[in-house]
Amino acid sequence: MDSHPFTSSIRRINVMYLLLVGVVVLFGLRLFYLQVIRHNYYEKQALTSQLKQYEIPADRGSIYAYDGDEIVPLVLNETRYRIVADPELVDDSAQTAIALSGVIGRSAEDIQKQLEADSRYEILANKQTKEVKEKIDNLKLPGIFTNEKVPQRVYIQGAIAGQILGFVNDAGEGNYGIEQFFDDDLNGTPGRVKALTDKNNVPLLATSDNVLIDPIDGEDIVLTLDVAMQRQLEAILAQGLKNAISKSGSAIILDARNGAVKAMANYPTYDPAKFSSVEDPKVFNNASVSEPLEPGSVMKTLTAAAALDTGSVGADQTYFDPSFFRVDDATVRNIEEDGGAATRSVSDILQFSLNTGATWLLMQMGGGELNEQGRKTWYDYMTNHYNFGSPTGIEQGFEAEGIIPSPTEGFGLNIRYANTAFGQGMTVTPLQMAAAVTAAVNGGTYYRPTLISGTLDSDGSLRANKPDIKHAGVVKESTSKTLVRYMDNVVEKNNRPAAREGYRVGGKTGTAEIANPEGGYYEDKFNGTYVGYVGGDTPEYVIMVRVDEPKVAGYAGSRAAGPIFASLSNMLIDNFTVSRKSN
Amino acid sequence: MSPSFSGRSFSRGRRPRLAAESHQSNLGRKHRPDYALLILMSLLLVVGAVVVYAIGPGLTNGKNLPENYFSSKQLTAIGLGIVGFIFASWLPLESWKRWQAPLILLAAVVALAVRYIGEEINGAHRWIQVGGFSFQAAELVKLALVIWLADFLTSRRIEGKMGSPDTLKWLGAVVATIVVVVAGLQSDFGSAAVMMAVIGLTALVAGLPLRRLLLVGAAVFLLGTIAIVSTPYRRDRVATFLNPEADCQTEGYQACQAIITVGSGGLFGKGLGRSVQAYGYLPEPANDSIFAIVAEKFGFVGASSVLIVFWLLFRRIATIARQAPTDYTRLLVTGVLIWLSAQMIINVGAMIGLLPLKGITLPFVSYGGTSIIFVMIAMGIVFQISRYTDLSASRKSQSERSDRTNTIRFQRGTL
Repeated sequence: MDSHPFTSSIRRINVMYLLLVGVVVLFGLRLFYLQVIRHNYYEKQALTSQLKQYEIPADRGSIYAYDGDEIVPLVLNETRYRIVADPELVDDSAQTAIALSGVIGRSAEDIQKQLEADSRYEILANKQTKEVKEKIDNLKLPGIFTNEKVPQRVYIQGAIAGQILGFVNDAGEGNYGIEQFFDDDLNGTPGRVKALTDKNNVPLLATSDNVLIDPIDGEDIVLTLDVAMQRQLEAILAQGLKNAISKSGSAIILDARNGAVKAMANYPTYDPAKFSSVEDPKVFNNASVSEPLEPGSVMKTLTAAAALDTGSVGADQTYFDPSFFRVDDATVRNIEEDGGAATRSVSDILQFSLNTGATWLLMQMGGGELNEQGRKTWYDYMTNHYNFGSPTGIEQGFEAEGIIPSPTEGFGLNIRYANTAFGQGMTVTPLQMAAAVTAAVNGGTYYRPTLISGTLDSDGSLRANKPDIKHAGVVKESTSKTLVRYMDNVVEKNNRPAAREGYRVGGKTGTAEIANPEGGYYEDKFNGTYVGYVGGDTPEYVIMVRVDEPKVAGYAGSRAAGPIFASLSNMLIDNFTVSRKSN
Repeated sequence: MSPSFSGRSFSRGRRPRLAAESHQSNLGRKHRPDYALLILMSLLLVVGAVVVYAIGPGLTNGKNLPENYFSSKQLTAIGLGIVGFIFASWLPLESWKRWQAPLILLAAVVALAVRYIGEEINGAHRWIQVGGFSFQAAELVKLALVIWLADFLTSRRIEGKMGSPDTLKWLGAVVATIVVVVAGLQSDFGSAAVMMAVIGLTALVAGLPLRRLLLVGAAVFLLGTIAIVSTPYRRDRVATFLNPEADCQTEGYQACQAIITVGSGGLFGKGLGRSVQAYGYLPEPANDSIFAIVAEKFGFVGASSVLIVFWLLFRRIATIARQAPTDYTRLLVTGVLIWLSAQMIINVGAMIGLLPLKGITLPFVSYGGTSIIFVMIAMGIVFQISRYTDLSASRKSQSERSDRTNTIRFQRGTL
């Protein structure tokens, strides 16, 4: 070989160049292997991360109510953020924990423990505001992520109507109340994406075979509630229970003209914004619809209406009341002051709340004695006319049906039925009672009690629900008029604070014995109830009050529930639209 | 063979033996330059500019920048590169030699300064911010190195000291400096590897005995191993290279994604606007990973075409090196050839899973102003030398077979 340095250089360049060509050929072969032979494998690998199929959550519907005639928001959504850590990506857990502790208000040690956990997903804080999220973003902490959005319910009107509304748990599910009942409607339909996306899951426009279904946002629901009325009812109930030395109770205002619930509350209640700090889950229930009770003498209004309606008694008929009846092996007595044996009118039965009178009414339905015919007639009125023993269909979860004893099966049917005539030995919810009395005083139309006025269109206008008539002709028009007269009289005579010049206010107390689970009734425990209405020529609002075991002296119905009713009826007349009597 | 040549045998050479040889005056007659260089270089620049433009939305996504931000910076860099190219192809080679001392000094200062005033990206200090542009120090060092080497090795040849321990000492000192400054301080192992290749292979072409080079090579290998083992970040990269698919989610992420990107391109590619991997999946899609994006968009056909363009370009440069009129110019062109080809091999090799990831640009194609400007300056020098190639020398050495009348015309078309 030529050892000339010049040619040696060229030879070395040639060798180098040939090696370079060899490398290029090798690269070409490798490209062929990766891109042609193994293409399907890598295409699949690429798609597993590029092709995303996931749901786009729909916005949960908002909840509205009325302020007078105006529709106002009650529950809206706000975006909050979840702060999470991927412990594997965290650099310095101690420093990170100290930096975060000031922002999210948790102890640095607790956070550090989570940051050192053997997992890839640790929730450090939920429902943080945008401010907190941005503060954390600015810290630029590796392994800390703030982009997970959590919808949060905000309660524009404050902590009212909590038990009606229910709440949305951290998983986004509606619990209790409207939130649970209309969970599907409020949730809407999530959208679906199947698309090639960038690393942040944003679909790439460049690809045409994407599937993209937009989410359908949840319905915006308008409640029948009047927020001002609701707020005042809650305040009056709380104060009234305090005055009556009672721990719990309920109050309902129904619109007698359409069955709309204008206000409804129980005490104790809770703030749905702070649902997670509630200790006793019982407080989540809307006791007005979920907790039946023996209603007591308020039932006599309906017994009188049934007897009048069947023609068993005349409107102004009188009878001799012996002040007690022996039925089977038991005795029916009058527990409220009755003035002893006397000649009484049907109106007197309500005014003096005569148990014997109610028993007498039941006897008349049986043609003068307690018998199967009377029991069957009364059972028919209770279940088919007044809709007891079955749910009203109110838009709330956990609605109770109550118990109406069978007229034909069991022992001691006569005494048992005599008891039902004055509201013992049977159970109804306060709402069932309010709805039944509404039908009895409004001319005989049983509206399904409802909390829903309608839904909002996308342009914000109301798509109103029609009132839902469950039974027409519950009682005759004339029966209804007579009952209203009787109940007007009760307020006139017994509940003077509720009576108002120029308005029609009627009602009836109940002092119900409480069944002892071990048999019989408690000697010293009563529930106070009151059912009544306010209006002008006709009743416009029906009010139902229940006070559990008041410790105030006197009869529970008149001393505990009656004053709450009076406050509510006066509140309606003073602050809301109630028609005056025309004459 | 090659180790046998010596200073004495060199005396038979056709070149003057003056130590202070005036290169320019001895280049011989000026002729038409090799315009194919221009065409091939332009093809690569266009591919790069088009790809950077096409993935603009993916690059700027979430960064609050206009979509053509990177694209316009790329075009600015190409514009500056053209200026650099014209300047380098015009500036007499004599001047490069005259200015090489200040140039080397500047390169050394910048290379050291970057450690202190440079910005840190991913744990590496490689860039200095100059008026909105990031200046990558290593690119200047590469150019200075090629120019210095050509001069140094030429004078060694002239003095007949090519194989002497003194030469090795010098080269060893430079290699050690590069290991410490570029690989050590800047954590730029890729550029350090390119520089080693330039030093070793240019010295080999200059006539350094192969055995000596292997000796130095072994020393470098040792130093390299120490550099790798001493830095966790490089240890990870090597571990990742050895088995990237074992840890696709963290350390091996980029290596895995690069192969997936290349493989998903298929035979004909997904099309210019249909790259998905550039949208956040593959790190550095415009920069170190641009070859993978080319492979995804244009498939095997496109990616291998780019390789072919590189091959053609290297072929031209190798031809110019062979036909170079002087030792100095030959070594200069050889240095550029090794620089560009080593960088291409390291970059593409990493994208197709044959070499570890080094974080180095693909010459002419990658986004990155400094790289584009300096490789274009280097190309300007090669372009200038292509005017002075000695066609007869080449003909004598390898084109005996060709038809004499066609030789000149075919010269640039064949090897």
